Amino acid sequence: MSGWMAWRGHAWLGLAARLYLGGVFLLACAHKILHPEVFAVDVATYQFLPLWAVNLFAITLAWVELAAGLLLVLGVRSRAAALLVALMMLAFLAALGSALSRGLELSCGCFASQGAAEDPISWRTVVRDLAWLALALYAMWLDRAPLGLERWLNHRRPRS
Amino acid sequence: MHMGIIRDAMLIALAASGIGLGVNALMPDGLPLVADRPYDLFVPCPEPLGTVEALEPADPRLRAPGTLLVDARDEAARKAAPLAGAEPVPFDYLESVSREAVTRLAGSGAPRVVVAGDGLDPDSGRELARELAGQGLKNVFFVSGGAPALLRRATREGVAP
Repeated sequence: MSGWMAWRGHAWLGLAARLYLGGVFLLACAHKILHPEVFAVDVATYQFLPLWAVNLFAITLAWVELAAGLLLVLGVRSRAAALLVALMMLAFLAALGSALSRGLELSCGCFASQGAAEDPISWRTVVRDLAWLALALYAMWLDRAPLGLERWLNHRRPRS
Repeated sequence: MHMGIIRDAMLIALAASGIGLGVNALMPDGLPLVADRPYDLFVPCPEPLGTVEALEPADPRLRAPGTLLVDARDEAARKAAPLAGAEPVPFDYLESVSREAVTRLAGSGAPRVVVAGDGLDPDSGRELARELAGQGLKNVFFVSGGAPALLRRATREGVAP
């Protein structure tokens, strides 16, 4: 097991996973940052959070997505960023599962606000989010020496 | 898992949330941190919808005896440009048509029901007609172009709409 954990290829697979996930999250946060009022309606539509938490969640989530996406792409504190992505995916999966089990027909609200007719949630959305959760967990657990800016800076730093 | 990773994740989340709250506070149209009233949600309900046919404003069935014209527009639009003799049943995208309205239309005994809406896209007349047909009304039609098309035609021909 320790040999598998120490495999050097994880750094390259982890880099690919991080670039992909980081790109997804950077793409996902743009609309939410530019139009928080629209995203708040998307959040409310899930009927998952109490009213007092809807705006707070809508305002802060997009910026956490931005930070996590940037850090994953740059390779700075990338395991912590991957943990954040995994936690966000778990929260999204819980909201999705709850909405689907109640038979709500609504837009995912993941990337841009669309009507339920154009971007409906479905069990395929759940499978997609599970795949992203798996990638985040991979980057967190197995990409232990992430390739990126932080590693490059550490290598350049003169050893005392 | 290293505690350092959890600590870093918490710091990143806190810092990002702080930036988000700060940006929101600086925005002139920023969101209130707590919504002061519930959001109006438009979650489509599985309403039974029927199939309806469009009638052109010039279609003779519109003026045929027994046709019941239904005005799906809201009160303000009806007052601004009334359709003479039309039964008002305002269509609401968020609420189903009331059982009383369906009973009233069914009880009229009219062999044909024609709904005139706002003529927009989507047309409230078409939507109400589909809902009425879904509730079991037979021979339900809607006016293509809605009440505005009927009013234009009436003006052109110099007759009461």
